[in-house]
Amino acid sequence: MKGNTKPKYGIAQNIGWMVKIAWKTRKRVLLFCMLTPVLEILYNLAELYIAPEILRRVEDHATIGSLLGTILFFTAALFLTLSIKDYIRENAMFPRVDVRTEIIGMIGLKCNTTSFPNTLDAEYIKLREKAHMACQSNREATELIWQTITLLLQNIGGFLIYLTILSYLDWTLLAVVIVTCVIGFLVSRHTTNWMFSHREAEEVYYVKKEYIRDKAQSIELAKDIRIFGLQNWLNDLLRKVHDIYLDFRLKAERKYLLADMTEAVLTMARNGIAYVYLISMALKEGLGVPEFLLYFTAVTTFTTWVMGILQQVTKLHEQSLDISRVREFIEYPEPFKFEEGEAVPNADGYELKLEQVSFRYPEAEEDTIHDLNLTVRPGEKLAIVGLNGAGKTTLVKLLCGLFDPTEGRVLLNGKDIREFNRREYYGLFSAVFQEFSILDVTVAENIAQTNQNIDYDRIRDCIEKAGLTKTIHELPDGLDTHVGREVYLDGVQFSGGQTQRLMLARALYKDGPILMLDEPTAALDPLAENDIYMKYNGMTAGKTSLFISHRLASTRFCDRIIFVADGRIAEEGTHESLLALGGEYAKLFEVQSRYYQEGKEF
Amino acid sequence: MEKKITMSHALSAHLRAIKLLNGVGAKLFAVMTLHAIVGALTPYVTVFFSAQILKELALQRRADVLWQWVIVGVLCTGAFAVLKAFLYQRDTTLLDDLWGRKEILFVQKMFSMDYADMDQQTTHDLRAQIRQTENWSGWGLMRVLETYEAGLKSVIGILSGIALTVSLFTSPVPDTAGGFTILNSPVFILVLAAVMVLVSMLAGACSAKSTSYWSGAAEAATFGNRLFGFFGFIGTHKGRGTDIRMYNQQHLVSAYWDKNRAFGTNGAIGKLARGPLGIYSGLGTGITVLVTGSVYVFTCLKAWAGAFDVGSITQYVGAATAMAGSIFELTSLIGTLKTNTGYLDNTFRFLDIPNAMYQGSLTTEKRSDRQYEVEFRDVSFKYPGAENWALKHVNMKFQVGKRLAIVGENGSGKTTFIKLLCRLYDPQEGQILLNGIDIRKYNYRDYMDIFSIVFQDFQLISQPLGNNVASSAVYDEVKVRKALIDAGLGDRLETMPDGLNTQLYKDFTENGVEISGGEAQKIAIARALYKDAPFIILDEPTAALDPIAEAEIYAKFNDIVGDKTAIYISHRLSSCRFCDKIAVFADGQIVQTGSHEELVSTDGVYANLWNAQSQYYT
Repeated sequence: MKGNTKPKYGIAQNIGWMVKIAWKTRKRVLLFCMLTPVLEILYNLAELYIAPEILRRVEDHATIGSLLGTILFFTAALFLTLSIKDYIRENAMFPRVDVRTEIIGMIGLKCNTTSFPNTLDAEYIKLREKAHMACQSNREATELIWQTITLLLQNIGGFLIYLTILSYLDWTLLAVVIVTCVIGFLVSRHTTNWMFSHREAEEVYYVKKEYIRDKAQSIELAKDIRIFGLQNWLNDLLRKVHDIYLDFRLKAERKYLLADMTEAVLTMARNGIAYVYLISMALKEGLGVPEFLLYFTAVTTFTTWVMGILQQVTKLHEQSLDISRVREFIEYPEPFKFEEGEAVPNADGYELKLEQVSFRYPEAEEDTIHDLNLTVRPGEKLAIVGLNGAGKTTLVKLLCGLFDPTEGRVLLNGKDIREFNRREYYGLFSAVFQEFSILDVTVAENIAQTNQNIDYDRIRDCIEKAGLTKTIHELPDGLDTHVGREVYLDGVQFSGGQTQRLMLARALYKDGPILMLDEPTAALDPLAENDIYMKYNGMTAGKTSLFISHRLASTRFCDRIIFVADGRIAEEGTHESLLALGGEYAKLFEVQSRYYQEGKEF
Repeated sequence: MEKKITMSHALSAHLRAIKLLNGVGAKLFAVMTLHAIVGALTPYVTVFFSAQILKELALQRRADVLWQWVIVGVLCTGAFAVLKAFLYQRDTTLLDDLWGRKEILFVQKMFSMDYADMDQQTTHDLRAQIRQTENWSGWGLMRVLETYEAGLKSVIGILSGIALTVSLFTSPVPDTAGGFTILNSPVFILVLAAVMVLVSMLAGACSAKSTSYWSGAAEAATFGNRLFGFFGFIGTHKGRGTDIRMYNQQHLVSAYWDKNRAFGTNGAIGKLARGPLGIYSGLGTGITVLVTGSVYVFTCLKAWAGAFDVGSITQYVGAATAMAGSIFELTSLIGTLKTNTGYLDNTFRFLDIPNAMYQGSLTTEKRSDRQYEVEFRDVSFKYPGAENWALKHVNMKFQVGKRLAIVGENGSGKTTFIKLLCRLYDPQEGQILLNGIDIRKYNYRDYMDIFSIVFQDFQLISQPLGNNVASSAVYDEVKVRKALIDAGLGDRLETMPDGLNTQLYKDFTENGVEISGGEAQKIAIARALYKDAPFIILDEPTAALDPIAEAEIYAKFNDIVGDKTAIYISHRLSSCRFCDKIAVFADGQIVQTGSHEELVSTDGVYANLWNAQSQYYT
């Protein structure tokens, strides 16, 4: 699996990529990355020198004026650096969120426009999950990297400055400090590595916890919970997933504790050595209290710079891995042609042709469609019928260009559709699928699929044809009412039947030359279903149309019926000719109509 | 969020939150308390020992005394660091655990609330709002823990600070210092203490003011979060992929996505951060150093005048600064306390949704003869908040052991009828009687026990097949198998990789098995059979099945249900033909009853529906 291979981009490349996005989106992000380290170092220096400088003046019995002046100077310096630093800290998050939002938008764009087969590709899905994970909160790579860069700059700056301050002291002391830092770092890295390598496992615990939690609290399950008394079982599951997670957390805790303990011991050692060294100096060479304080503070702070550099470099490395995944996802290869493809020609009628088409789903063992030939003539009303799983929907998806055949070709007016700009090709179809995407925007926007220059007259015409006028009329804001409750709390929740009509209205508004309806009446009651059938001829006037159903009765108003079984066209003809044939179609029809024929026993 | 929140209200809300959380994670509170104490003492330990060394260095410089202090100091600080690490790690672990486990509070509420409330979108909106503010900015129940720990820590910090600074005031400036002896006056103690407290409180107030801006923008942020969650991730929804492409939905999605800037620089909080929120916060943090400055002035003057050595200056300044930090913390916590109370009130509003349904205590006797008689007596019902009656004056008596079909157009009241029957809702008018007694007088759970229902929108859980059928953690394997075979899933069960232990769907674990809609429906039917209740109700049981499967289910059903009373809801009229009785619903009323033969030969709703469907089959 690609997810575990070496990342495509290195640290420098990924920083460059992030900087470029920040430059385009919010330059402030970069400004803060520069400004914060400067302020931090200035603040730190003020903290370092305040006590020794003041103590020196007390010890030397300097004038009261000079003593108070020193105190005033350092207090002012601390005040300014602290205030500005904090102001920036309060403001740093927002531009960073803007940049992260921009990246989520880029990922969203890829998700919404990538070639359809990619959406079923396990590798693509895995990468998409990783890309999203890298953007999912303030604590993830695409935002946290700014903090890492800031801290890294700050620690490098501090390290260099302290190096010059401490150069007065013995270099072996500095060497000892650095060595203890490295040891501490290596132990703590053992912990972070462990956590990093268990990140996916941890993610799984979260998924499980959230799944059970959401199920227990869901509106949909509430009926079943009450009727079947699922409470005890769900409580039990909830407890179990948390116990398992706690076990994991305790294991992680031991790792963290090991690092913390090592750090505590090393700090003890470091402080001891610094004390021994500086006190010896004081006893032998008469080092004064202010200098003693200055150097002791400097030595301990120096360790934080060294540790900081080591830690931030590790973090940068980890975050770079995540960012590389985001880029790999955005650049995931596209099997279809889009903008680089040929334009779809304008024509009075379109002929669709499947030529020896076979299709197999990725990782499936058998073909779903076998060596199938079919020509849909311009203006023809074609019905595709068959049992669940016969391959009807797959056939439709091949015709629409959502899938490319594994073997054979799909032709539009004689030309392989692979050559066209696929997005333009989709423009030919007014489709209603069983799976659908109704957006949480207004009714009108859902029908027009745009928020600009909506033709309201046409919308009213389409909802009338789809039998939705009365429903829309009763809504508080009519066509401008929001659909769904996920975004707008005042949105309308349509029933299954109403949703199906809305989708039909949307297909009619689009007015593509080819109408494609996949089980459009499954959620409707008999009268409503009948109503749609009656209007079908009006809707399909001047268009090529395909009607897919497992209810055989519903297809009799079509010019031609193809009966699909096991991915092949088993029989074809008109309803009458198929019944006369006495084959599979006739048998199935007999089963279905048995219930509707008076007087028959079963 | 209302502006006025009194301190007593804030405290009682927090106290209640602590009690609730303590009920779920009692261990955490013990660890947190210890952690706060150790954490508060640590800085003073460091200050104390380094001051002792500096004092000795400033005065006598006795080598043996110095080494003694170094050894004791380094060991003590080390011991504190180790102890703190232990407590910190356990604190974090238990806190992580509680983040998830506290959900039990909400789950319990949602299990026990009236279905009428559970079915209200506003209930779920409130729940979503509570969760969103918690995820985005940490406000709500869990913030209480942080406040508790920080509050405790700052109180202990202030006390320790006082202990280390007492001698600052008690050490007098010697008489030889002339005019400086004025520093011995108790007035200075008061002035310095006042400066410390006032400055820290001013800083705390600034910080609280800064925090308060967060509460104002919560609503907008919550909306932004919904916009963000919906339009940012729409391309990951499995079923949406086709429409997104066929209708080029990216166009509309990006138009809405670009509106979503609630969390960035142009969002409400982002703007406030550049203005008052950021300025107050910066001031609050900055002002604290004024304490450091004034303590330096006082102690240095005293030391300059000879009251004590320079080593002691570090102790006093260190202790006073840490103490000022604690006072600052405590004051700013007041802001946090008040802001968070608004969010806690939201949480409690949810947890306190009252149960309006009357629940009696009568037990339904377990009758082996299954002689349960149910009667609807002039029942009328409307959904909460709705204007129209969903059911009007419904009268109906069930015949035990018979098959009843309920038919009618979408929205005619079929499903509502069932929801009243199994007491998901109570009618506003009329009565439903079980063996002559109003069903409200029975114990709710007992009453539920007499129904098995396969709802149209039934739900299975991504858990093992066997548990799903049995609806419980433990089950009778033989019985489960039989239920599955009766429901027509016998063949499929053979091919399940782990038999009854096979995980359904991949939501919970990756090695789960995906099942089709038809298979899911059969499992739901098996679940209803396993429950073996005297009433079995099927709400559109065959909608996801193709005609062959439909034919199989119908043909078998008479045998499957045995002596139970069965009720079918369908808009496929074909299912009615083998029922003893058919009730036709229209516009919330029962307009016709009778057998198929009777109804089809009478002019009316039923005949209309029948003809609409059957015309294609004759």
